Amino acid sequence: MGKNPGTANGAPNLAVQLGPLRLKNPVMSASGTFGYGKEYSSFLDLRALGAVVVKGISLKPRAGNPPPRIVETAGGMMNAIGLENVGVEKFLEAKLPFLRELGVPVIVNIFGNTLEEYRELAARLSGAEGVCAIEINVSCPNVKEGGMVFGTDPKMTEAVVRAVRTVTTLPVITKLTPNVTSISELAKAAEGGGSDIISCINTLAAMAVDVFSRRPRLANVVGGLSGPAVKPVAIRCVYEVTRAVKCPVIGIGGIGSATDALEFLLAGASAVQVGTANFTNPAVMSDIIEGISRFLAVEAIEDINSFIGSLDTSCVFPFSEDSCALIKADMD
Amino acid sequence: MEKIIEEGRIVSLERVLGQIYRLRLHCPKIARAARPGQFVMLRVREGTDPLLRRPFSFSRIYALKGELEILFRVVGRGTLLLSRLPADSTLSLVGPLGNGFTLPADKSAPLAFIAGGIGIAPLLELIAQVVGGRGQKGSGELHLFYGARSAVELLPEEEVTIAGLRSHFATDDGSFGYQGRITRMFEDVLAEGAFRPLQIYSCGPLAMQYNVAKWALANDMPAQLSLESLMACGIGACLGCALAAATPKEAGEERFVHVCEDGPIFSAGSIKWEKILAQQTAPPTWPFN
Repeated sequence: MGKNPGTANGAPNLAVQLGPLRLKNPVMSASGTFGYGKEYSSFLDLRALGAVVVKGISLKPRAGNPPPRIVETAGGMMNAIGLENVGVEKFLEAKLPFLRELGVPVIVNIFGNTLEEYRELAARLSGAEGVCAIEINVSCPNVKEGGMVFGTDPKMTEAVVRAVRTVTTLPVITKLTPNVTSISELAKAAEGGGSDIISCINTLAAMAVDVFSRRPRLANVVGGLSGPAVKPVAIRCVYEVTRAVKCPVIGIGGIGSATDALEFLLAGASAVQVGTANFTNPAVMSDIIEGISRFLAVEAIEDINSFIGSLDTSCVFPFSEDSCALIKADMD
Repeated sequence: MEKIIEEGRIVSLERVLGQIYRLRLHCPKIARAARPGQFVMLRVREGTDPLLRRPFSFSRIYALKGELEILFRVVGRGTLLLSRLPADSTLSLVGPLGNGFTLPADKSAPLAFIAGGIGIAPLLELIAQVVGGRGQKGSGELHLFYGARSAVELLPEEEVTIAGLRSHFATDDGSFGYQGRITRMFEDVLAEGAFRPLQIYSCGPLAMQYNVAKWALANDMPAQLSLESLMACGIGACLGCALAAATPKEAGEERFVHVCEDGPIFSAGSIKWEKILAQQTAPPTWPFN
């Protein structure tokens, strides 16, 4: 830090290692905001992404919740889509080949009603060529089956992770909900169950109402809040989780720019997922990757890994220690 | 079909009447690819307020000039901000999106166009293309049924009339044309027996669309209805714009279509109308703040 711009030789290294998972850069899509990848293929080169995390998959197809399913709020949006998806068989047959042929690393987000369903899904995906990791969703706030019943109880979280862990050799990511008193406890439970990586956060349980109709704005009554409004909550969660567990953490929540992504990396995340911002700007992830690269070059940081987790919490002033001492002397 | 992200420059933005504005944008890539009934997701301004893009259909497509015309009504914060943008500023557009209207293969087919309020927008381009495609020898009657709550929400007659098209106007309060619902007027005209369209094209509020669909189904007439929904992405990723779909299967099994990908143009029989009428979106609260 603080060196002259442009002193690094060549382009900075963006590759990150998350336990057993190596990514060419730390930027990937967040599940549920990027479809099955193809939806965005005319806006950006999917091959440039660290990975594509696809829409949550269940054993059987799901129709989802009745509309209205989304509502815009101040600096964010709420959704209650209800995990509409094509089901694992159609995913493998009709959706995965496109990404596999492109050569994009695919992370499949899964959810189920029972431990058995999680286990069956993980086993089914394990043999599939092109899948590079499984992300366990134990955090959807919008449907009974969304896993939040598992994700708010450390014992059940551990049991789900263990169920998946025993049937797959793929890297396992556990996606946590912020709708708990202590996210660290859940992170420890997931790590204890054998999760290689923790990702956080899923959406915040939220509600919006309308004074004319005197009805909730979502048919599901409550929904999940996402977008810039949740970013400070997400950074706090990443900060706490990275200090509670040894495994790497993926930061998610309100990332819409390179500096947003860098803030999560600084707080300790080894990689990030971009969600709601894909709706506002379908090419945003390529801008973020390029922006991170430019920032590292300007700051003369040759390897992104030296920036990850380098947050200095010893001084609240954005100055060097000398400046702090000077200010302190001045105040005395 | 390719979806494009493009910076559009505002060529002109003017108030037509009441809360209705006409926006003309220079965005050659999207304009060249656009078809009537399709839409764009427009980013009203940068930043987080509003966070999401807004969907708009094309009221005119000028492919050669590389320009699009969007007719919109100020109904909330997004459209309010849009109406205040200075000329020459730029906006980000994503499009063209959705399926669009299917034009009839038979160039002498009699057609009915039914518009309610700002729902006139996508029909203007459709009518222009149908009339343009028929040439001097064009035959087959083309009738536009255009209604609004009151004359102050109805585009001036000369804005919608075009040679080869017969226009019928209605207002709920009788301040212009027939007094009553446009769908009632449409039914009255057809009851006279002189005009029987081969196909209906319609766009307007949900209650009107429901009446059009009901009539079309009862009279076994094909109809293409342009529907709308709250929408976050417009490209089939968020799945937010779901509408209950008619299901031929056993009762109880739910199925949804998505306005952005499966629509915005739907046939009368593809929608479960009783479901979506119960889920109409509420008016915005901004006039009180």
